[in-house]
Amino acid sequence: MNTLIRTELLKLRTIRSPWLLLAASPLLVVAGTSGLVISGNKALDATAQSQALAHVGLASLFTLVFGILAVAGEYRHQTITDTYLSTPARGPVIGAKLLVYAVFGALAGVLSSLVGLGVAAAWWAGKGASFTWADSAMWTTIGGGIAWNAAFAAIGVGVGALIRSLVGAIAVALAWVALVEGIVGQLIGDLARWLPFNAGQALGAAAEPMMTRDLLPRWGGGTVLVAYTLVFAILAVGTSMRRDVS
Amino acid sequence: MSDGITVDGLTKRYGAVTAVDRLTFEVEPGVVTGFLGPNGAGKTTTLRMLLGLVTPTAGHALIGGRRYAELSEPRRAVGAVLEATGFHPGRRGRDHLRILARAAGIPFSRVEEVLEQVGLTDAADRRAGGYSLGMRQRLGLASALLGDPRVLVLDEPANGLDPAGMAELRELLLGLAAEGRTVLMSSHVLSEVAQTVDRVIIVAGGTLRYAGTLAELTNAKTETLEAAFLRLTSNPDTDPATGATTASTRG
Repeated sequence: MNTLIRTELLKLRTIRSPWLLLAASPLLVVAGTSGLVISGNKALDATAQSQALAHVGLASLFTLVFGILAVAGEYRHQTITDTYLSTPARGPVIGAKLLVYAVFGALAGVLSSLVGLGVAAAWWAGKGASFTWADSAMWTTIGGGIAWNAAFAAIGVGVGALIRSLVGAIAVALAWVALVEGIVGQLIGDLARWLPFNAGQALGAAAEPMMTRDLLPRWGGGTVLVAYTLVFAILAVGTSMRRDVS
Repeated sequence: MSDGITVDGLTKRYGAVTAVDRLTFEVEPGVVTGFLGPNGAGKTTTLRMLLGLVTPTAGHALIGGRRYAELSEPRRAVGAVLEATGFHPGRRGRDHLRILARAAGIPFSRVEEVLEQVGLTDAADRRAGGYSLGMRQRLGLASALLGDPRVLVLDEPANGLDPAGMAELRELLLGLAAEGRTVLMSSHVLSEVAQTVDRVIIVAGGTLRYAGTLAELTNAKTETLEAAFLRLTSNPDTDPATGATTASTRG
């Protein structure tokens, strides 16, 4: 397993696209935080702090696509053949990817949190408001957001392993978030709370969420998201072991 | 036998389509064996089953008496280049080989050796997306040689090589076989095959049409390989029963 993890790290280190994708996360947090301040219709209080840092969780859209690259990217560039020739035991290969990508998803969350905190503190100082570093709601939002980033990276690995077409997997994932959870979610009412993106939102939500929709409590969102992550991980390993590679 | 390839009753069906039908043959060490057949004959599917990438519907394909998945150090036992093997366009050639080396527990110094062996050292720091077809073939060959394997399985290795590259490839494969290794290569370039291989396996419509020496096939050169190949494969024989008969009499 150690060898497989080091191999995945080397794969990541020797290409640029995953890093460009992860670099988009802090940019999203900077843009979201700045937008919140510039729109100017909110008092820069503790609630606004956690709302600014709630953008950390939203960056999980990027870690989702990052995770999709793990397996679907290998099919796209046909490196999967060499990967399985090196390691015929496919379960551990997918397991190593799940682990490595989830860790990098979390690290991307940590990075965007640090950048977000810096930018928010600077805005607050610039506007003459005091930034409450000790605000526990803000730190809970950040922690939830980082966990959401990690979970969506792992779910992305699963989506990529199931769909295998890179373009198809990204299209399905984004359409799911935008259309299924956004539009169909309104039709099914309360049940929408149990869908993965909404569960993630519950986990990484601010003290007073900007979305008006009902979300699960934070612990509930976290539990549901862990369940989705496990289901996708099991599906990813299961299907990868059985399928022909041609 | 310990280094040979044994294919026995190998069958792959996709729904109603039988891509490979009860294929049985052996590939011996010490010589280069050509694996020939028209497009869609089932060559690639056979090689993928041999390498554990595709699960056979029936039968088995063994390397040194074991399934690929059972080999303890597959890259050190078998070197393979398949047609649909690719490289990440943004990754440097050297890094591609280092990834394979790391996965197989092979030292990075060996990467430099195989780069030198296939003449790719100067291009090793370039991203594979900028490689010509010939350079991609060399990189694929380098990855097959990485583990210094006793068995080589090469799918169309001559594709895209210039005449000098082909001559180098021929010399390399003959040298590897002379060292007692097992070399199985598929190719459409029959004139090249005729100069390189000692033994030939011909498949068409998923069934075996010939397995034996090149000399026997061409009746000691009274018939060209091309003529023999066309004679054995042009027959639109997709009836599995007939194919099996052909296989047992020829094989």
